[in-house]
Amino acid sequence: MTAETRILRLHVNGSDVDVAAPSHWTLLEVVRYRLGLTGTKQGCDKGDCGACTLLVDGRARLSCITLAGDAVGHRVTTIEGLVTKDGLDLLQRTFDEAGALQCGFCQPGMIVAARACLDAKPEATRAEVKEALASNLCRCTGYTKIFEAVEQAVRAGRAAHTNGPASLVGDSAALAGGRR
Amino acid sequence: MSAGKLPADRADPLQHARSPNRTFGPQPPGAQFEVVGKRSRKVDAAGKATGEARYTDDLALPGMLHGKTLRSPHPHARIKRIDTAKAEALPGVLGVVTGAEMPVRFGVIPWTQDETALAVDKVRFIGDPVAAVAAVDEETAQAALRLIEVDYELLTPLFDPAEALARKDVVIHEGNKHGNVTKEVLLEFGDPDGALARSDFVVEDDYEFHGTAHAPIETHVALARYGSDGVLTLWSATQIPHYVHRELARVLDLPAPQIRVIQPHLGGAFGGKSDPFSLEFCAAKLAIKTRRPVKFLYTREEEFYAHRGRHPMQMRFKTGMTKDGRLTAVDSKILIDGGAYSSFGLVTTYYSGQLLTGPHDLPNYRFHSTRVFTNKPPCGPKRGHGSVQPRFALEVQLDRLAEKAGLDPIEVRRRNFQGAYTTTVNGQRVTSNGFDQCLAQVEAASGWKARRGKLGRGKGLGCAGSMYISGTNYCVYPNDMPQAGIQIKVDRSGLVTVFSGASDIGQGSNTVVATIVAEELGLRLEDVRVVAADSDLCPVDLGAYSSRITFMVGNAAIHAARKLRKLVQQAVAEEWGVAPERVALAGGFAFDLEERARVVSSAKAFHLAEAKFETLGATGSYNTPNLGGDYRGGTIGASPAYSFTACVAEVDVDLETGEVRVPHVWTSHDCGRALNPVLVEGQIEGSAYMGFGEVFLESHAVNQYGLTTRPNLLDYTIPTALDCPEFHASIVESLDPEGPYGAKEAGEGPLHPTIPAIANAIHDACGIWLTKLPFTPAKVLAALQAKAKADAASGGTRGGASGGASGGALGGDQGGKR
Amino acid sequence: MLRLEPFAFAKPQTTDEALALLARHGAKAKLIAGGTDLLPNLKHGLYEPEVVIALSDLAELRGVAVNGAGELEIGAMTTLEEVERAALVRARAPGLAQAAAAVAGPTQRTMGTLGGNVCLDTRCVWINQSHFWRQSLGFCLKKDGTVCHVVKGGKSCVAAASNDTATLLVALRARLTIRSAAATREVAIADFYKADGAMNLRLAPDELLTRITVPAPAPQGTWSGYAKLRPRASIDFPRLSVGVAWTTQQDGTFADATVVVSAIAATPRVIAGIGELLRGRRPDDLAALLAAGEKARSVVTPLTNIDGDPQWRRAMVPVFVKRSFLAGARGGA
Repeated sequence: MTAETRILRLHVNGSDVDVAAPSHWTLLEVVRYRLGLTGTKQGCDKGDCGACTLLVDGRARLSCITLAGDAVGHRVTTIEGLVTKDGLDLLQRTFDEAGALQCGFCQPGMIVAARACLDAKPEATRAEVKEALASNLCRCTGYTKIFEAVEQAVRAGRAAHTNGPASLVGDSAALAGGRR
Repeated sequence: MSAGKLPADRADPLQHARSPNRTFGPQPPGAQFEVVGKRSRKVDAAGKATGEARYTDDLALPGMLHGKTLRSPHPHARIKRIDTAKAEALPGVLGVVTGAEMPVRFGVIPWTQDETALAVDKVRFIGDPVAAVAAVDEETAQAALRLIEVDYELLTPLFDPAEALARKDVVIHEGNKHGNVTKEVLLEFGDPDGALARSDFVVEDDYEFHGTAHAPIETHVALARYGSDGVLTLWSATQIPHYVHRELARVLDLPAPQIRVIQPHLGGAFGGKSDPFSLEFCAAKLAIKTRRPVKFLYTREEEFYAHRGRHPMQMRFKTGMTKDGRLTAVDSKILIDGGAYSSFGLVTTYYSGQLLTGPHDLPNYRFHSTRVFTNKPPCGPKRGHGSVQPRFALEVQLDRLAEKAGLDPIEVRRRNFQGAYTTTVNGQRVTSNGFDQCLAQVEAASGWKARRGKLGRGKGLGCAGSMYISGTNYCVYPNDMPQAGIQIKVDRSGLVTVFSGASDIGQGSNTVVATIVAEELGLRLEDVRVVAADSDLCPVDLGAYSSRITFMVGNAAIHAARKLRKLVQQAVAEEWGVAPERVALAGGFAFDLEERARVVSSAKAFHLAEAKFETLGATGSYNTPNLGGDYRGGTIGASPAYSFTACVAEVDVDLETGEVRVPHVWTSHDCGRALNPVLVEGQIEGSAYMGFGEVFLESHAVNQYGLTTRPNLLDYTIPTALDCPEFHASIVESLDPEGPYGAKEAGEGPLHPTIPAIANAIHDACGIWLTKLPFTPAKVLAALQAKAKADAASGGTRGGASGGASGGALGGDQGGKR
Repeated sequence: MLRLEPFAFAKPQTTDEALALLARHGAKAKLIAGGTDLLPNLKHGLYEPEVVIALSDLAELRGVAVNGAGELEIGAMTTLEEVERAALVRARAPGLAQAAAAVAGPTQRTMGTLGGNVCLDTRCVWINQSHFWRQSLGFCLKKDGTVCHVVKGGKSCVAAASNDTATLLVALRARLTIRSAAATREVAIADFYKADGAMNLRLAPDELLTRITVPAPAPQGTWSGYAKLRPRASIDFPRLSVGVAWTTQQDGTFADATVVVSAIAATPRVIAGIGELLRGRRPDDLAALLAAGEKARSVVTPLTNIDGDPQWRRAMVPVFVKRSFLAGARGGA
């Protein structure tokens, strides 16, 4: 049958956006090829690798096996949406500082999955982090530095909680310097 | 030659260099290192963390078309007819191309070019590209493929390499001089037969290494634009832009100056993006035909057809040892399953033998390797190209011999350490060598002495060692030009831009280049920007393969930066009226070493130099010294420096199921100098991870019809966060005399010992020798049961009776758990 | 990228609206719950719907409650993660929480639903592949073809039930509420499945699974446990799926016990005679558990429909029966 194109009202990274897309398009296709939010990656075509992970209502979701129409009425957050006027998300900074980014291709999905994990469990242990990231494949790192990055964010988050927001960069003070 | 002593003829290891004035060496440019050796962040990491970094599929051009490839459903067939009329007539289709339009054969190795962009007369595996379509969207292109009619005459397919070798009636490449043999190498050094005959202990076994895939998370993707100026621009997820450039010119019959190849951010490669691929030619050809930009994005399944993964090898190894644990000889015969095309197979065939002559002193050696064509996706270079497979066999045999000699496996490797500054039996020049320290590190970190044999039932420790090249002086196309080049430009703002030909494939080569230039020019890392892998802008580099970039491009960067440094020092010195040696560059300043208060910013120093010497810039390059044995193939595998690795793995075998858990892998790697320890650790951890996956989980194979059995990331099971061991990486810095500040490779070497260390640990845990990869739980359990049977038959747990060698395990001439 | 073939999309706001759409489109429609099974299969061309009907807005089909009879009632659209974490499920049917937690990976479980898992299509190494791949071997019995690549000369499809939760729900004798625009019916889950890999559900094209009812009278009235064989600790479908449920007598010995083995053939298989075998034995009597496992092994025949050596998978049956009992006795998810 021929494609049926519709206007979808999506809520992406804090804004409503109307986008025309065929009904059979996935959320991944719409964010990448209609909205130009190419931070969310395509890796396996069918929900096996996690590179396309983004957040829907704050929960991790595989956008390559989510129909765009199914996201209508929900809050979609992509990796780009983690950057606010206050700067990068803590995890975006700790992934950098810990050396978790090699080719970087799995990392947008990995970082948003980690964000969902820490939002639910700010004190996640390494075992819980491993469990939370187990839908996201990384081919470069062996995950070691990814775990370290999330743990670093847990520590920084704890410091912020104890000492107030001013210390958000406390644990990763070095992050504040350098190129940012 | 004795360990650690510089032989007289190698007193200056640089004496062989073609440009002897470039004595870089391990020393810092200033009093101490300011940037090198620091745990700095990668120069491109922030953009990757935020999603800003643009990979090839993230690019879109106005009017861009989408390409799709029609592939052969038959493993071996002659094409009788192709009719594309109906596809061309489909609304939304703007172009169709077939093999007849691009008949020129290509391939990275000039003497084995046997691929065409699309099949011309034959298809040789299921998935071989046959035709390509460009349409307004992927759905339309896909629909058009179904309208292309192809008549095939089916031919007998060959899937088994032994059959391919034996059959003379079925030839996969007509015109190949040696039937289905793509390359055969027989090299002998010393007297292996005599030495084996004189050995106190000899083991001879068959080993099998299966096919494995790179499985980078980014699949192949290429975007081509043919401008009104007649310039073809290709953005491609390649790790060898220079070869793609050359082959595009040949295949498209387009003058090379009219072609620009750009490698954007790359989502993993591991060797899998080291050939030119069909989609690069098809995107380019269809862009020319349609005058519209064309993008091809391979599906995951297509990535498995394009393959070039690790070669399956069947290996017979015979190794001898003296009573006191000294290695006497190795004799190997290897059958290599090449798949449908040559790819880098000529090199693979040599590497399967040439890279085994360290870190253990091997006095007598023969290898006889034969690569054959089969009707399967072609094999090629994967991380640890050609040598991961035989290294598995050799390191397991070392443990078997250690057991016979009653020696500790680490002690055996220590006794056979070849030392630094020596020449191997096959004529390779070894410079710095920290393997003994690597062994000591993993021995200590794993608690080897205290814990081995005391971990309990089904648990064990195993070790292995290895060496790998830091680039090779074998240039795939003969020329006398440098292998690596760097160009530096200075802005009046103080920013330095480095133009590097190297492909950053995630390993961090842009960071390495920036680190070196910042160190030499006394800048902060953030004052250096790297522009890389763009044929219009950057000097030629041969590509990201053979672990060559840190060594070669790093040296080119030092070479360029030092020229510039000299100009800056001279200009500042004249301004101050002091000798140039007094001017130091560090931390974004130039200052007087004797009068510290006298200081200017780097930007100001650059202004002085620009005023004095005109527009500032510098080029630098690197070429290898003349290396290698004086025999045919002697340069293949000859490297200016070798890296060394030792590994200890801990296993926990589930005796009920045969499943093996690996709680820890300790890997210590001699990378010369760690220019950035975070990057080196990342390479060590990633290598160990990849080796671990190959041992248990990953298998690239075809079924009885020739169809790839697991062409997706659900069935081709790469390890998840929950499967991986804890990887413990440590670094040994042996400081190579020719490497940039003493650096050597780190990206491929550390994979090698992971696999045999795990195999040896399984033996330590439960007394079985596994010789056929992958170690599926079914195989492990079969071996455990065979051993139990043999033990029972001999009436004890230390039985010497030979059990059946079922499931890829050797019979029990070994005892049970100590 | 692997693209979907075109279809229309509907997202009803009520169950009645969904049922009306189903009544209108029937076999030309496909329902999408979490999408983790449907979307890959659509991308592989296993279905060719004209319309896809999304159930995601049907809040009324979501949630876990206890009914008047003390049974667990779980809405079909409750996600697997919610099932895994629900205190009611963990207390009354811990094996179901274990089975839900064993499905795929964490992200798939935030998407996938219990109803979707119960209705998961059967799987086979020869079918869960692209159209090109299947075309290259001339397709197969399950779709578009006439031959079976697993059983030479086979005339009925042997694709395997691969849903972790179904194994356990069969062991717990769960019931399914199935609605159409015309009627509502309830069926024992064991009767919901039929031994045809091509279509193993007794579900009419206009019907919708709305609720799963689990007899779980009181905490620890019924014990249950789950064990799964798979290559990786995440993402993978089962290569062997074993669920057990049992009740105990006053002295703690078995009163009755059920063993269900799946990922073998088109339906989860209830192993006959386990109750008799185990009655009076203790749940920590490993020899008794292995004997139950041997009984299961003697009646199941793993095939090459699933990756992994069939002989070895068969040998693993007793081990995983034992481990299911041990997991149940241990409790927790």
